[in-house]
Amino acid sequence: MDCDCGSTGTMIWKEADTLPPRVKRLRDEYFSFYERDYFRNEALGFSTGAQWDVLWRSYNWGINPEIFPFFAAIEDSLLASAVIVKTPESFWKLPLVRRRSLFFSEVLRKHLPAQILEGELIVGAQFNNAMSLCLNKAEAKGFRAAQKKWWDAAQVLNDTGVGNCGAVPGHLIPNYKKAVEIGFAGYAEEIKAELRKQPDERKRAQLQAMLECCEAVPDFTSRYAAEAERLAAAEGDAARRAELAEIARVCRKVPWNPPETFAESLQAVWFTHMLAMFSESYPGPGVSHGRIDQYLFPLYKKSVEQGMTREQARELLMCFWIKHNYAYDFMGRVGANQGINSGFGQLVTLSGCGPDGSDLTNELTMLMLDVIEEINMLEPKPNVRLHRNSPPELVERVGGMLSKAQGAPVLLNFDEASMRGLKWQGMPEGELWDYAPVGCLENAFQGCDRSGTVDVNLNLAKAVELTLNDGCDLATGRRIGPKTGDPAAFDSFDKFYAAFNAQLDALLDVICECVETADFVRSKYEFIPYLSVLVDGCMENGRDINEGGAKYNYITVEGIAFGTTVDSVAAVKKVVFEEGRVSMPDLVAAIKANYEGHEKTRQFMMNRAPKYGTDDNEADALAAEINKRWTERAFARVSPHTGKRFRGGYLSWNYWIAYAPFTAATPDGRKRGSFLSNGIGPVNGMDRKGPTANIRSVGKVGLESAPNGASHTISVSPSLLRDPEHVTKLSSMLRAYALEGGTALQVNVLDPDTLRRAQKNPEEYRNLLVRVTGYNAYFVNLGREIQDEIIAREAGVL
Amino acid sequence: MSREAVIFNVQRFSTEDGPGIRTTCFLKGCPLSCVWCHNPEGISPRPQTMWYDVRCIGCRSCVDVCPVGALTAGDKGIKINRSTCSACGKCADACPAAAIEIIGKSWTPEALTDEVLRDSAFYETSGGGVTISGGEPLAQHEFVMDFISRCKGAGLHVALDTSGYAAPAVFDPAADAADMVLLDLKTMNPAAHLELTGVPLEPVLRSARSLGETRKRVWIRTPVIPGATDSDENITAVARFIADNIPGCDRYDILPFSNICASKYERLGMEFRFKETPLVPMERMEELKADAERAGAPNVVIQGLTTRKPQ
Repeated sequence: MDCDCGSTGTMIWKEADTLPPRVKRLRDEYFSFYERDYFRNEALGFSTGAQWDVLWRSYNWGINPEIFPFFAAIEDSLLASAVIVKTPESFWKLPLVRRRSLFFSEVLRKHLPAQILEGELIVGAQFNNAMSLCLNKAEAKGFRAAQKKWWDAAQVLNDTGVGNCGAVPGHLIPNYKKAVEIGFAGYAEEIKAELRKQPDERKRAQLQAMLECCEAVPDFTSRYAAEAERLAAAEGDAARRAELAEIARVCRKVPWNPPETFAESLQAVWFTHMLAMFSESYPGPGVSHGRIDQYLFPLYKKSVEQGMTREQARELLMCFWIKHNYAYDFMGRVGANQGINSGFGQLVTLSGCGPDGSDLTNELTMLMLDVIEEINMLEPKPNVRLHRNSPPELVERVGGMLSKAQGAPVLLNFDEASMRGLKWQGMPEGELWDYAPVGCLENAFQGCDRSGTVDVNLNLAKAVELTLNDGCDLATGRRIGPKTGDPAAFDSFDKFYAAFNAQLDALLDVICECVETADFVRSKYEFIPYLSVLVDGCMENGRDINEGGAKYNYITVEGIAFGTTVDSVAAVKKVVFEEGRVSMPDLVAAIKANYEGHEKTRQFMMNRAPKYGTDDNEADALAAEINKRWTERAFARVSPHTGKRFRGGYLSWNYWIAYAPFTAATPDGRKRGSFLSNGIGPVNGMDRKGPTANIRSVGKVGLESAPNGASHTISVSPSLLRDPEHVTKLSSMLRAYALEGGTALQVNVLDPDTLRRAQKNPEEYRNLLVRVTGYNAYFVNLGREIQDEIIAREAGVL
Repeated sequence: MSREAVIFNVQRFSTEDGPGIRTTCFLKGCPLSCVWCHNPEGISPRPQTMWYDVRCIGCRSCVDVCPVGALTAGDKGIKINRSTCSACGKCADACPAAAIEIIGKSWTPEALTDEVLRDSAFYETSGGGVTISGGEPLAQHEFVMDFISRCKGAGLHVALDTSGYAAPAVFDPAADAADMVLLDLKTMNPAAHLELTGVPLEPVLRSARSLGETRKRVWIRTPVIPGATDSDENITAVARFIADNIPGCDRYDILPFSNICASKYERLGMEFRFKETPLVPMERMEELKADAERAGAPNVVIQGLTTRKPQ
């Protein structure tokens, strides 16, 4: 799934010339979508063969409105092309969760192809799929009816620009740390022990299903061992023959048994991870590794002590890294830019603080950063945790990576602000230090937490539109919110603001209600016993992960267009009610006309109001108030079917663009169709006092009540990073971010294309800083010729 | 004398005016009138009215509210009669599009201190602070002294960015109060200096020597202006002067000329004689850098736009 963390125009095709030949070949092979007929990780359908079979769950894709029109076609083609998996007579008498584990095991033992690519050291190729839900006829009927209820409501919300929601797979960190420590054999023992004391039939079925999944894993990886042996027998090159023999040995060992070397641990994690994605059916987005530089470090250290060279470790890591990119394979041959968009978000988290606040950066952290930079592929997505005690050499290293404009974008998470939010959420204080983000930047606990981090995406700016149209969508006239009165008659800001709050409350309620339906369908009809093994709590509770079995369960509401909303409310307050430059009836008329014929009104609303993102206390106070109100209201709500509590966050993915046409003109001067604000950031171009003011505004929001965390993007020109002195300045800014800013930051280094866009649409880029003689200047305020000069200069760099 | 200063810009996240991340305060008014001045709005000590053609929506609100009839709307937009305009700001207030700005706003030292303190965290992590620039900040030296002492009281690092053209009784205490000084040495030729900047060279050199005697931390800067300051002889002479007289100088910036300010001249109704002058080629800057290094200047840095990007 495409996950927009604010990356703009990032090139992913940079040729890496320092790669070992083996890695270079594997990397080139991955990118050869058109030639690679012998292997593609495209979704394989697996069906029970029942005519009512369900492979496709629309609610999994509820947050991808761009493919809503294709749902029916995808469902049909998956069913039509599905492999029929033979099941025993007794199959239909089993409880649903057991049917799922049996089916999963059958697919692993007999159907999922085991293929090893030339020269690779880490194996495990095919995992994209669409697996039968194993529903019987009555269940299938119930499923379809329940899903339709969600779908009918979801379409209205999307069509009116309110937002979208679904029960989205992935977006969690399976307990790979434990899987490495005890292996699936260890898990199987624990489940058996649990079974011995569990009297409840339903829970026993769940545990038996989980056990069955564990036991299928070595059967599957043995098929890889056999394939390696087959290839070895035919291999002429002695060195490769030895590698294949080693692969066979490792595949017979892990992940059933705990790995004992670094190489074994990477193979164990890859199998465990690819099956986690496989188990939820394609695509398992946002299935993240957590703090991989921490839990793999003991084996890394051991292997180094036993003689593993840095080069060997680097090559193994590169082989491991490349595998993750195959999650995209279905997109390889479609669409622009080879169809690859910005990411699945298999996040790896590096560095960060320990229990006492000291830093945990180690040798493996730094090696992984080297690998990320050298291999320069989109997956797995790198995330670095920074905090007040981050070592200077790490921060400098990160600054250096950012300065290479077209390298892999590194997402930065900030521990202090992130941990404040998780503490607010009620997570145990002694464990906060070991959090890690999933997907893009959504904060969670490792191995025990499903926080539904992108299940709900709510367009906050819609509340402004409804306030100005008595609760109805302006484009369609459809009633969405309550009647809050004729906006032209509001004679005080308080009245306007009360109406706005009522509309926002109503929007939150209506979208939460919709997602609760999806949560219900999934909890009742979709069991994932394999994934339940890997998430603490499911075994202890005897409940599937989709039933809310994890130790921690949330549904996250991601607020979209926060900056647009704040600026709009601030503009009404200042321009209409405090300074009286525009009357309320004039504003309402202008909004309804999309400001056509009301340019003067638009300019006043845009230019005469305080702006969020400029360190303006007035605007920032409103921002804090608006944030507090909706996030606290969300947190008060619990999904009745699974007990999942709602929580807030700000990851606006690509919806700040997608919902722009569905959001009427706003009182901040924005016309329908102009982009909404992205993440927790200010409206495009409105952070006119530069990045430090922008950072301080975000810091003042009071993000702890949005414990998911918030996406914040800052753009700088490559010229600001032209030499080591300036890279150090950027690194210093990151250190200050830990003290002053929000939970997560992406620094965008702008390329010439962006500068050209800025030239064409100066309004949206008024904040863009470039460096000129002896000082920084705002790009759009420069004369045309000098802009051209700067573009030409940037084009010559990198 | 007013406690307040007229300031035309408070620029946060300044990365080019001294070490670390800084906030640069540009004080309005300058006794020099360098023909290449890149901040022409900093020359006049008084607030000035500026009109931005790209923002103007042509509503004429400004024309209607001007109490002295200084504004007229014509084919080429709004024309400002600068002999009658008093920069009262009524037009700027009436303009919905923020197309008219009054350049130069009064700040009390208290308010300015509060403003620069906002980025304290960034100064701390970067070794940055506040840079007092202009115009010529010492033209408002009482304010500068007050402001420096407030900044120092708040623990901020202060850099004074000056032309050096000030009386010893003004310059020396200010330089002494600041943590470091950024000083321009434009040309070592006295006649050229007078011609190009409108003021004699000797007071500037006296200031520079005074910095040398106190061993103040100093960065020297020379704008490399085609046909004016860009000769090998001039850069060599500046560098030699630094080597001989300013032991506290730990960096010498040579700043290639830029015509980036041409639009500002237009907006102020001023002539810019370098409008058509091309940028300095990087190869030439590198030659000058080598000159400076040969003459003994420390840590020579090329800072700015050239026709080729340095590698």
